[in-house]
Amino acid sequence: MGMKQFEGADEEFNLEQMEAETEQMLRLRYITKANAVFERTKGGFVALDLTDADTKETEHYDRIRVVRSFPFTDRNHYVSIRTIDEKSKEIGMILDMEKDITPETRAMLEEQMDIRYFTPIITKIHSIKDEYGHAYFDVETEQGPCKFVIYMNSSSVVNLSDVRLLITDLDGNRFEIPDFTRLSAKELKMLDLFL
Amino acid sequence: MNLKFKLPKPQQEALGLGERESIRYCSPYDIDFAGHWTKNGYLVVTEERLVVLENEEIVEEIPVAELTYLKCEPLVNNGILVVRRAGEKEDRILLRFSMKHVSRIAFIAKGALLLKEGSAKEVVSRENDKVCPVCGRALHGTSECPKCSGKPSAFRKFISFCGNYKFSLIVIALLMGATSAIQLIIPKVQAVFIDKHLRPEVGTNQQIITYAITMAILYVMIIGAHVSRYYMCMSMGTRISKDLRRQLYYKLQKLSLSFIQDRRPGALMNRITGDTAQIRRFMEDAFAGMFSCIITMVSAVIIMSRMNWKLTILCVAFVPVALGLSIAFRKNIHRRFHMQWHKSDKINSGLQDVLTGIRVVKSFGTEEEEAENFKKLASEFAKVQKRNEVFWAELFPIISFVMGLGIYFVTYFGGIRVLGETMTVGDLTRFVAYAWMLYGPLGWMTFLPRQITQLLTSLERIYDVLDEEPLIKDHTDAVEKEITGAVEFRNVSFGYRSYEPVLEKINLKVKPGEMIGLVGASGTGKSTLINLIMRLYEVDDGQILIDGTDINELKIEKYHSQLGVVLQENFLFAGTIYNNLKFAKPDATEEEIIRAAKMANAHDFIVKTPDGYNTYVGEHGFNLSGGERQRLAIARAILNNPKILILDEATSALDTESEYLIQKALERLTANCTTFAIAHRLSTLKDADRLVVIDGHHIAEIGTHNELMEKQGIYYGLVTAQLQMQALKKEEGEAEPAVG
Repeated sequence: MGMKQFEGADEEFNLEQMEAETEQMLRLRYITKANAVFERTKGGFVALDLTDADTKETEHYDRIRVVRSFPFTDRNHYVSIRTIDEKSKEIGMILDMEKDITPETRAMLEEQMDIRYFTPIITKIHSIKDEYGHAYFDVETEQGPCKFVIYMNSSSVVNLSDVRLLITDLDGNRFEIPDFTRLSAKELKMLDLFL
Repeated sequence: MNLKFKLPKPQQEALGLGERESIRYCSPYDIDFAGHWTKNGYLVVTEERLVVLENEEIVEEIPVAELTYLKCEPLVNNGILVVRRAGEKEDRILLRFSMKHVSRIAFIAKGALLLKEGSAKEVVSRENDKVCPVCGRALHGTSECPKCSGKPSAFRKFISFCGNYKFSLIVIALLMGATSAIQLIIPKVQAVFIDKHLRPEVGTNQQIITYAITMAILYVMIIGAHVSRYYMCMSMGTRISKDLRRQLYYKLQKLSLSFIQDRRPGALMNRITGDTAQIRRFMEDAFAGMFSCIITMVSAVIIMSRMNWKLTILCVAFVPVALGLSIAFRKNIHRRFHMQWHKSDKINSGLQDVLTGIRVVKSFGTEEEEAENFKKLASEFAKVQKRNEVFWAELFPIISFVMGLGIYFVTYFGGIRVLGETMTVGDLTRFVAYAWMLYGPLGWMTFLPRQITQLLTSLERIYDVLDEEPLIKDHTDAVEKEITGAVEFRNVSFGYRSYEPVLEKINLKVKPGEMIGLVGASGTGKSTLINLIMRLYEVDDGQILIDGTDINELKIEKYHSQLGVVLQENFLFAGTIYNNLKFAKPDATEEEIIRAAKMANAHDFIVKTPDGYNTYVGEHGFNLSGGERQRLAIARAILNNPKILILDEATSALDTESEYLIQKALERLTANCTTFAIAHRLSTLKDADRLVVIDGHHIAEIGTHNELMEKQGIYYGLVTAQLQMQALKKEEGEAEPAVG
């Protein structure tokens, strides 16, 4: 399909802009230590100066959002850096958190992601009491002791892999058991109902 | 949802309230910056300051007047409160909390900003906590924890509700007493027969016949009492559930849309059908048997102890053992069968997944993989099922044997007494019969606690709805008023959840008869604006004036009768076309209806249907096309002779001819009433007197088509984009045949 000539120059300009925006959404732009400078802000967030490879222009962002593309299966690759506004547009991606950025930057971004993602790891199960359609958990997590309640249905406990469990409570908090085979026989027996 | 937690003493002292200061909002937060769970952390908002307390110390204190930005940002499974203070340039994290408090703190943030603006309005949350913040008990969709709220319990309300069925209850009680009495008499009759008459030489044929007849009569009486008791219980249960169902339905119709939209429709349907059925089931299964079992058991023990207290003690001693065993057994069974249910659930959803997606499966050629997956699930289920069935078959007889152990002992010791002639054979038989009465219902009784809890849960859910007060109701001094159709928005703010504003500070004055076109990207709040005009929701802030009167001061029914509404998806009730049209005005004459149908260009197609105006539509009814349904909806709106007309995407997704017909119908309709129209296809709005562009919760642009085109703003962008899309489509359409 060829380009269509529209009456009026304004309209044509607009179409070009739209196409440019679509093009930009399609582009996979990688962020590395070569083109980006991250900096901690006083408020506990991270700012970014990014030089575009094509235009050589530097974009500045007061505050960015750091998002994992594969939070469960590949935490250190394809980390998406996005704008903070409602549209949350992608500024670029970090392909490899180990190789592509400096350790300082990595620590900075990891901090942001530690705030973004909150999924306590269950280390010990004290008790699971099931009562009329709900199960009451009393557990020890890496983040401290915790009690929570889940619905007794199949979507509350999800197998992320053969041994890895993700538990969602009534409020929408999530808890992870990285390997349930490492739990004691007693704990396993309590968990039996959900496996 | 509680937005004002009670602050513990030490924290209160640390806070040190000023003389004119009081706590307006207070919420705990539960994660610290290191990402650990924390207790004793509180966020407090007073009239003057926002304070973060940790343990007994103030860690952050910001005067409310200095807040320039305060927002709860939901992250993945937790949230943060971000603040900007006057003079600060950057966002700063103030707090971190789990999902338990995300919406609570979002509400509080909004409340704090309202305080800063000097508004006295207190933010209230319509959402429910999922878990009681005080006792940690899961709440079954009720607004308050039934245990902690201290209100008269649902159970007590239910008992007083049952007062309406006094007569049935008395009859049932009498029948229960009768059944128990006969059951207790039978062993006595048997004992007398065995000891006195069933002896060679002494007994006569006549006596045996008398005995047989007596027994037969007694059993018939028992059966009669049983049947009538169950009949009474069933009919009472059905009546109670019917009455509750009716009350619930009536209440749901009365309640505001926000109450209904905060809950899933399935959950509400469940309350009307499921929870009331639960009550009926309880009345039938448990209530009927419960009391007579208890009466029989207690009387049996009394009679037994009067016959022989030593044997009675022996007998009763085994009751706790049998009870404990039965409970343990039941728990185990429950666990096992729950697991089986869980697996079958998995199979079902797996099957549903594949069958609904069969086109995708086939087009990607993954039938083999899917079959393999299903086989895995099915064999897992089969394994669990087999294990459970075997367990049941093996263990159940053993358990029944153990449960009856006490009786074997009684038989042994009683037998010795019979041989020693301190007890007659008849008495032993009688004693054993009573012992069975004691043990028999034990297994059944262990189900009772579960049934009672289920009943209580259902009652709580039912009374949660019945106790709810409609948010939107007529004010005491509401007036009935004929309106002319002048609408004014004054500083109106609204959000379905008050922490997520959809519209903010809307100001708009509409003259009677004016047509307003609402324009904006989807999700910007056009439909919300219309919902507010329809008064389906109450504004959070500001005022909507109809003819200069606050919309809240108008009698709702009268106001609604002067509105006409045509939506994108128009709902037709199951019924005839005639009834569907009359829905808007029940006393409409046939002529009025035909006039309205003609105005809406609907009369012709209606008459062409086989049964004319009596054609049955709705589910399983006559199939109307989208355009026809739309025209019926317009006729329905016209019939009302509305002063304010609302058109929400009334002409989208229609073919050109029906759109033309509908456009014509609408032109007639909009001529003499105030109209608010939403349309994606901007050409539809070409007749609008003014266009209102909504963007970012605000009115971004306002003016006539020409004015806005000159301005080259958002509207201009939308129009040119649509023109280009049309041009592209047209071009593609032209290109295709050329290629072929």
